Amino acid sequence: MAAETELDPVIHAPARLRVVVTLATLRDGDSLSFTRLQELLGLTPGNLITHLRKLEDAGYVTTVKTGSGVTARTSVSLSQQGRKALNTYSAVLRQLLDSASPNGTSPH
Amino acid sequence: MLEDQDMSVQEAAAVAQDARARARKELFISRPIVYTAWGLVWLFGYGAMWLSVRGQHPYTGPSGVTIAVVFVLAAFAVATVLAIASKTVAGIDGKSARDRRIIGSTWAIGYLTLLIVAPVISNSVSTRTLAFISFAGPVMLAGLTYILASVLGRDRPPLALGAWLVIVGASCAWQAPAAILATCALAGGGAFLLMAVIGTRLRNHGS
Repeated sequence: MAAETELDPVIHAPARLRVVVTLATLRDGDSLSFTRLQELLGLTPGNLITHLRKLEDAGYVTTVKTGSGVTARTSVSLSQQGRKALNTYSAVLRQLLDSASPNGTSPH
Repeated sequence: MLEDQDMSVQEAAAVAQDARARARKELFISRPIVYTAWGLVWLFGYGAMWLSVRGQHPYTGPSGVTIAVVFVLAAFAVATVLAIASKTVAGIDGKSARDRRIIGSTWAIGYLTLLIVAPVISNSVSTRTLAFISFAGPVMLAGLTYILASVLGRDRPPLALGAWLVIVGASCAWQAPAAILATCALAGGGAFLLMAVIGTRLRNHGS
């Protein structure tokens, strides 16, 4: 059962973890604009795009572009697969934290 | 700032907790603030009108100046709450946005209707009936709007507040005009302030 004891490498990076956790706080069916997400996370647009691409390739987030020109807007939301992946990640993280050795060293 | 560097499990837990707390703070309207604003407006607005009619025999209603002041106070509260809400929910789309539009429209149409209907029927109904419609009507409307919000958001606290406000408003049917104003101020405004305190305590316990 290796998959259940390893942290998902797609989520397990500071920026992507923050993206996924932030989107998970939204209600199911809600999305957040790219601009607002970028502002919340304090990432540069290029940086955020890179991380969103990785998450989108894994099927964890969905990005939707609407409008054109000045009114163009990109919305980002966590997919059902992404919510499930985050729940699994959180469970594994808790497990690893609980089993961290008493002398302070802990597995990555 | 950590970007794509390796993270220990402790660091990951801290990053997740921090991101969650930040998102909850930035993306959700603070209910205690909204409840406090409405609570103070109702307490002082209805309270001022009650003070202006206390001892009136026969009852003739709040003075024009008092009503104007109350309207200004209410308009200021509405503007403040809308400004806070707009900033908080900026960029959020989907079901929440749709629900907000439904609730906002319901509230606006309801209050506009009351504002229009009350003067139109003022000459054909008793003073007591007019006072009930004018003063208790907004309370019951607010209650129904909160019940609607609770159903749409599948959220319990607004349901309790909404039900209470509907009961408070309906109870005014048995009261004289001056008593209606006192009831709306204390039981209506007080309910909002109590919800603000409860909301703040729950948030502090959860953080």
